Amino acid sequence: MRLKKSSIAVVSALSLAFGLAVMPASNAATTVKMVLWPGPEGDAMQKVVNAYNAAQGKKDGVTVKMILLSRDNTFAKEATLMKAKSSEYDIYFTASYLVGQHAPYLSPLSGVNDSLYLAAPVNSLKVAGKQMALPLDTSLHFMYYRKDLIATLSANAAKYSSIAQTVLGKNLKPNTNPATWTWDDALATAAYFTQKYNPDSPTKYGYALPAKNLLYNTMIWNDVLWGLGGNWLKNGKPNLNTPTGKAAIDVYNTIYSKGLTSPESSQWEYPETNSALESGNAAMGLQWNAAYSELNTTGSMKDQTGIAAPPGTGQRTHVHALAVGLNKYSKNQQAAAKWMSYLATVPAMKAYAAAGGVPSMPSILTGMVAKNASFANIIEYAGKYGYSESAGPREFDIYASLAEVLSPAWSGQKSSADVAADADAAIQKLLP
Amino acid sequence: MSAAFNRQRNSAGWILASPLLLLLAGLLIWPLYIGIKTSLTHDILSDFSTYGVGLNNYKHLIAQPNFWHSIRFTLIYALIATTLEVILGFALALLFDRIFPGKRFLFSLMLVPIMIAPSLMAVMFRLILNENIGIVPGFLRKIGIHFSIFDQHNIFTSLIVLDVLEFTAFTFLLSYSALQNMQEEIYEAAAIDGASKKQVLFQVTLPILRPAIAIIALLRILDSIRTFDSIFILTGGGPGTTTQTVGIYIYKTAFIYGDFGLAASAAVVLVLILAPFMPSIIKQFNLNQGGRR
Repeated sequence: MRLKKSSIAVVSALSLAFGLAVMPASNAATTVKMVLWPGPEGDAMQKVVNAYNAAQGKKDGVTVKMILLSRDNTFAKEATLMKAKSSEYDIYFTASYLVGQHAPYLSPLSGVNDSLYLAAPVNSLKVAGKQMALPLDTSLHFMYYRKDLIATLSANAAKYSSIAQTVLGKNLKPNTNPATWTWDDALATAAYFTQKYNPDSPTKYGYALPAKNLLYNTMIWNDVLWGLGGNWLKNGKPNLNTPTGKAAIDVYNTIYSKGLTSPESSQWEYPETNSALESGNAAMGLQWNAAYSELNTTGSMKDQTGIAAPPGTGQRTHVHALAVGLNKYSKNQQAAAKWMSYLATVPAMKAYAAAGGVPSMPSILTGMVAKNASFANIIEYAGKYGYSESAGPREFDIYASLAEVLSPAWSGQKSSADVAADADAAIQKLLP
Repeated sequence: MSAAFNRQRNSAGWILASPLLLLLAGLLIWPLYIGIKTSLTHDILSDFSTYGVGLNNYKHLIAQPNFWHSIRFTLIYALIATTLEVILGFALALLFDRIFPGKRFLFSLMLVPIMIAPSLMAVMFRLILNENIGIVPGFLRKIGIHFSIFDQHNIFTSLIVLDVLEFTAFTFLLSYSALQNMQEEIYEAAAIDGASKKQVLFQVTLPILRPAIAIIALLRILDSIRTFDSIFILTGGGPGTTTQTVGIYIYKTAFIYGDFGLAASAAVVLVLILAPFMPSIIKQFNLNQGGRR
């Protein structure tokens, strides 16, 4: 009998313990799922997430779980989730060039302090005046060049002028200050450093041209268009079938058809452009700011990496922000908002920068110039030259469509006259 | 008695096959239904509302030169790649259909490409063929050959060569397996009749293996028509749409332009293009011969 009682006690205790273990605690943390892509951004964000979960998240009753989709297809996967009005993820990864497309599936954010951010990135995430996403990394372009090579131009002025005359049909003198380059200066310099025209050139090609049919390459070509005073739209109408639009197409066409870049550059994007500069095969080229650390520390550009704003008479650089937005169909809106409020603070972005991110907060970038000299240029260029197209909800589609229409002309298959009207038609089709 | 037995056997067959049939319905028929339904709707990512538009997506698709260009490119690409792969695969199988030193090692080596995912293979090609840092262009330059693999004038040839490098292993393996099933007596009889090696190949081996080769060719052509990952990674379909396959067209329409309705209609048209191949494949399997009728 005594044995029976003790058995009952043991079973009761075990049942209680088991019950407590499986019963959800009344103050259990809400799990917020956030999508990001792998790479430096994902790595840096994981550290911020870990810090939040260990401290502030406990106070907020929120645990953040980050899901890294593939770098190439994050947006494709998100597109299907959005269209299915899925609540699987609470926070989506987005970007300035996509926010128009994503806006119908995101909740507007309130309480974002604009003054903490660089103006161009934070403004590029507004749709109809509402802040639809929180900026993370800022991306823009630099004209990268070899400082050691540009320094030699003055001593060879006659040769430079002769090559400029042969290739461009213009009498030009060397300009050793790339910050003041027009596109004629850039092309003449590229020709001078192309072995086809100057067998003494240390580089085989003067320019590294990312001319692949890829929407991100349209973003780079936009710098040329803007630098020459053009734009996609004028008074709300497509504006590429104009002398300025055609001149911008001709800049790429000249680089390719005159052999100032490799014939393979019709298939180049970020990695190939980088490898051309790094390997010493090319002397200069427009490239994303993210390339700076790699270029300045390895290969032929090591410690010789010069950067300037994209050439042109009205210099401008494309600027966009990678960002996160709140899923309109999330079942954890409040918890997700708490995490995003934390993410909008200076300490959170400082941790992000320390882990390798490039946050859009100038105060943080300024403090890290010693670690990466290009951060000073990001602040300067984003403020002075930063620009992003604002062509409505299908802006992303326009980038892709222009890459498809323009890339045959970029790579010399067609002329600017052949594609300019098609480019306008492609834009018109996608305007709201 | 016999009729009742047959009925019972048929019922048992259906019951036993039902899990597989349900799985097939879930994995094939349901997605196909959703695809056809989507193709009849206005379903654009940037537009919140979704509504029926009848056959408008098909009308729009048919009017798009890009789509027809993609179809044309895909068919030419598939035809050339398949022809080369079947011929090379069979030739290699003939080469391996004898005993020679190192056969086991070489045989394993031959199969490596089909063990690697096409997308991974494309990434590897992109690295090793990179003009600036790739090992192959570096080697070619060393021996005095200046050839731009990804130059737009060479890109079609380069893509075909890369496809052949990757998928000849598949045709080789199946051809080799078919050759192993040839009965030795047939060759002995041909030898007694004084047939030359060429005669044996063209008048004995090839006619007997015709169904197997036809299946290999049809499987490869179907797979080639669906080519997406390798070309997408290497060229993105460009310059312009020069190397755009139907798969890339569908992907871009859905996930870049966010037009799911139009993409679904293109996918349905692709299925309709592939469907006529099915009876040819089924015919090769001789389903009406052998076993119980």
